[in-house]
Amino acid sequence: MISGSNLEQVLTSGQFTVTGELGPPQNGNFDVVRDKARILKGHVDAVNITDCQTAIVRMSSLTAGLVALAEGVEPVMQMTCRDRNRIGIQSDILGASALGIKNLLCLTGDHQKFGNHPQAKGVFDMDSIQLLGMVKAMRDDKKFQCGDEIKSHEPRLLLGAAANPFADPFEYRPIRVAKKVDAGASFIQTQIIYNVEKFARFMEIVRDLGLHEKVYILAGVTPPKSVGMARYMKKFVPGLDVTDEVIERLKGAKDPKEEGINICVDIIKQVREIPGVAGVHVMAIGWEQAVPEIVSLAGLSPRPGAQAVEPRLRSSESTELIVSEAKKDAKAEIEKALEQAKAEAQASRDLVVKEKERVTSEISGLKRQAEKDKAIAGQKETEIERLNAELAKTRAGQGHAQALKELAEKRESRALSSRERSALASLRSGLEALSKGLGINEDQLEALRRFFEAEFLLRLDTAEQVTVPSEEAAVPIEEMEKPDAEAETRHKEVINLVAKGNVLLHKNDAAGAIDAFEKALAIEPEEQKASEGLKKARKAYEIARPAEEAAAPEGIPPCPEGLSPEEWQRKWVIRLVARGNVCLHKGDADGALEAFKLALELDPGDEKAKAGLLRAESGEVAPVPVPAEPEVPEKAEVPPTPKPRAAPVTEEVKAEAKKVVPVPAAPTGMEDLSVAELPKEARSLSERAGSIAEDQFTEACTGVIREVSLDEGEKALTVGGASTLPFHLFEGDMPYVPRVAYDVLDSEPEDWPDVLSKYYSDVLSDPVAWARKCIDDYGAEAICLSLVSTDPNGMNRPSSEAAKVAQSVIEGVDVPMILWGCGNAEKDTETLREVTNLVGNRKVCLGPLSDANYRSLGATAMAFQLPVVASTPIDVNLAKQLNILLENLGLSLDQVLMDTSIGAVGYGMEYSYSVMERIRLAALTQQDEKLQVPFICNLGREVWKTKECRLPSDDHLGDQERRGVLMEAVTASTLLLAGGELMVMMHPKAVALAEALIKGMMG
Amino acid sequence: MIIAEQKPLDEILEMISGVEKLLVLGCRGCVAVCSTGGDKEVGVLASALRLGRKKAGKPIEIDEATYVRQCDPEYLEPLKEDGEKYDAVLSMACGVGVNFIADRCPDVNVLPALNTTFYGANLSSGEWAEMCAGCGACVLHLTGGLCPVARCAKSLSNGPCGGSVGGRCEINPDVPCIWHQICEKLTGRKQDQLLREIVPIRDWRPSGHGGPRRRIREDLLP
Repeated sequence: MISGSNLEQVLTSGQFTVTGELGPPQNGNFDVVRDKARILKGHVDAVNITDCQTAIVRMSSLTAGLVALAEGVEPVMQMTCRDRNRIGIQSDILGASALGIKNLLCLTGDHQKFGNHPQAKGVFDMDSIQLLGMVKAMRDDKKFQCGDEIKSHEPRLLLGAAANPFADPFEYRPIRVAKKVDAGASFIQTQIIYNVEKFARFMEIVRDLGLHEKVYILAGVTPPKSVGMARYMKKFVPGLDVTDEVIERLKGAKDPKEEGINICVDIIKQVREIPGVAGVHVMAIGWEQAVPEIVSLAGLSPRPGAQAVEPRLRSSESTELIVSEAKKDAKAEIEKALEQAKAEAQASRDLVVKEKERVTSEISGLKRQAEKDKAIAGQKETEIERLNAELAKTRAGQGHAQALKELAEKRESRALSSRERSALASLRSGLEALSKGLGINEDQLEALRRFFEAEFLLRLDTAEQVTVPSEEAAVPIEEMEKPDAEAETRHKEVINLVAKGNVLLHKNDAAGAIDAFEKALAIEPEEQKASEGLKKARKAYEIARPAEEAAAPEGIPPCPEGLSPEEWQRKWVIRLVARGNVCLHKGDADGALEAFKLALELDPGDEKAKAGLLRAESGEVAPVPVPAEPEVPEKAEVPPTPKPRAAPVTEEVKAEAKKVVPVPAAPTGMEDLSVAELPKEARSLSERAGSIAEDQFTEACTGVIREVSLDEGEKALTVGGASTLPFHLFEGDMPYVPRVAYDVLDSEPEDWPDVLSKYYSDVLSDPVAWARKCIDDYGAEAICLSLVSTDPNGMNRPSSEAAKVAQSVIEGVDVPMILWGCGNAEKDTETLREVTNLVGNRKVCLGPLSDANYRSLGATAMAFQLPVVASTPIDVNLAKQLNILLENLGLSLDQVLMDTSIGAVGYGMEYSYSVMERIRLAALTQQDEKLQVPFICNLGREVWKTKECRLPSDDHLGDQERRGVLMEAVTASTLLLAGGELMVMMHPKAVALAEALIKGMMG
Repeated sequence: MIIAEQKPLDEILEMISGVEKLLVLGCRGCVAVCSTGGDKEVGVLASALRLGRKKAGKPIEIDEATYVRQCDPEYLEPLKEDGEKYDAVLSMACGVGVNFIADRCPDVNVLPALNTTFYGANLSSGEWAEMCAGCGACVLHLTGGLCPVARCAKSLSNGPCGGSVGGRCEINPDVPCIWHQICEKLTGRKQDQLLREIVPIRDWRPSGHGGPRRRIREDLLP
């Protein structure tokens, strides 16, 4: 540490530093300085105190700096050479050091001509560089400028200097910075930056000189307060480069102040990206209030807590202030605690009140219930008497009538227990239900009576726990035993069952009723009432079923929230069709048949399902081709000529205890890179989960990714449609499998490693043959034609020529095509438009559309109904924004594939993965409709340009081809797991590995 | 050469308000070359003063004379006696001449007609510019012959300040930035190493901050 100042600590910690600026007043008002310091406090790491800036007389920087310090704001004292000679300067420095100032910015100073005393004699005893040298010598060599020794208490100051990247001569500016660094500057604050591009060039030279490693460079920024201020700075402040863009932005703004802040924030964000920039110096003189907002909007708050900011001098006022603030804090804390205690007390009081209310209502409920029960019991008793009388009359001779009578007498002789009361209540309500539902007729009354008797008898005889008589509880009678009268029990049971059946029938539960009647008949086949009931129930069932089916078709899972049943059914049909297609693709004709049939049952008019059904019935099943290793001649130097094979060859080889279906082995150490089948988990997830409930480990998604179709006709491909995270098939559906397109270049690649180009060596110069080879030999399902030849920085082939090549490729293949431009927005617009003019109705996919050309290419895509690739730098918001822009243009998102930019494994893959994952989560779980778009991942080109794919085989890094293939396959795997739907790849073996993974994951 | 300019006429008239007999004394040295104090200018100024005084109703008697130089004692010898005839002698030499007359002719009331401005060169007819500050410690060998002490507004030693734009000085667009020119010149001559070296703080004593300067050459002393 040089001075140990807060600024130095922040700078050396490597954090992006923020300094501010405070202009002392043109009077002796202490409060002005204090108030400004309070505005800035906590938002910046240190504050420059200007030294009579623009040569206007103001309170001295030393004094104002001390006021700031007393407020706990670390000052950077500015010192110019205009007004003091070496004697005055050194004297002030000693004073500053004595009073706790730790940072000094050494300036030559504005010429007095600009100030309010142009008549003044400019001192200029030295210049800023000499000043730096002088103070450094005072600090490090403990010597005054004259050479005399400073015997003790030398000034320990962190020295800074200014630099103006916009002054001339431009080339000399970094050299002057170097001089300042050599002279003793530890940090540099630059002139106000508006022209970021020029500043970036300045920084480039600074880096070339290695200065960014020797000095902390803080970029100067200022929020323009108005158009007038911006114009004034542009015209009248020498060495300040205000761009026209800034003036235009301010002119067009509703609120110029807000726009000024935005401009400043934008510039901070831009300069922060420039290597070697250690922080910013925010100069908002006269507008200090803007600083906290700027710092916060730029994402630079909060600042690290200020350290070592200790004033040596305290005014009594500041002491009082500190005390009063401490008091305020303490008071606030006490009040907070009090508040909390009060709230707790209130809460517990509320709880007590609530509890009271609850208990009261419970008691009154119980009372009501008891009264009700009593009333019911009274009614029951009269009922029993009436029934008793009737029974005695009709069945005087029968034994159980006697029993019943006895029972009734017995019942009369004792008081009813509460349980008995409740049983009676239930009986009563059962009776009411029956009489209401069926009207009183004799049979039913009889059934009721028997039911009643039986129950009561049983209860009294067993004298055990009371079963509340209800339709469900009627069944357990079976389990009870009555040893002396088995037949009677059976009879009773039948009656009970019939009664139950009638109740159920009344309740519209036809199926339950049928069940009950059937049970009754099983016990007593002759029972008439049961068979009649059964008939009635069956009839009711017949009537009820169609209506039920219409309400909830069989086989459809319950409609998720947010969808109408029609929409859900439509979606489900699409999924079923897709499932069928997947089965077809996998060769599972039965599965396909089933899926298509189900789909047609739900929607007999669905054309896709019909077509699929036809295909499934005709047994047309797609084979999965496996790329063949080109035969490599024995001598490795000779470029190998691949020999196309008519049919894929498979054989079984054991590798690492896995079942492997390899391609023919190559003599290059590629044996274990064969396409393996993933070992399948035989048990379903729920089995594996054991006793854990399914809702504990599954999380259903509410969003669905859009489906995007590439091309039309037989070989058309659809991607997207997922209603779950990638391969989470236990939670939702992925109706369409992820696909792989082969990358074909429209001109012969010059820098492809041999291990890749040997697979295409005979066709590299002919894009049509190349594409055909991918399809015929390697089984490509789609082709991505990369129009690399059009790059203005490369071959710069004219658009018209490139378009013709593209046309011949498009016409030469029948699989879906993606046209991928060179990445130059203007040239791509030209070329891709040219192609669409030539190929007319063929639905090729156009890409990449960026924010620079989405309008022109989007319009073309709308005109021809073509799918497009929306390309953005790796960023969620940028991707979403482009989708919104495309939709605003009128393009449906059903036509869009997202390319969020890909990095190979080891080359930024983690960023790609994270962005894709976040987009997918937003799409599926937060229903962010603008992100419910499938991904396309153009990864082959990224992988094969990496160093790892280009270094030759050696002992350390192993076989080159194996390395490259694995790089590409692992990159693809990662992107698939992140949600990628369409991979653009290069090496056939890597493609085979990726497809094996897809197949394995899709089960 | 020393460049000077004539004081405003009103100031001179004010200066000689109580004078009734005046000698306007020119110099054929630097001031003659920069057309400020030679024979011709003596005649013009004398006429102007006569007219001015006449107009003010206080006519004045003015004689005219021009010496070879006013900064060498031998040429001032005649003035010791002649000067006493006048109420005042209005010197049209540079400040050196005025001082020297005052030194050598104690009884003469000498007055300055000119403001002595700088050491400069004649850029073109009627235009002069400062080229030297007489600072007594020449650094021109380090700066491509261009003087930052005289020609930079802040007399900087270590390169152009942040106000240098398009080769112009911030104090006035008419002023070239001398450090810009020094940079170009040294870079062109492949001497740009000089621009990277830190020039130490100057000793300003030779430039006069050490008191009135005097130079003695033993070999020429009488």
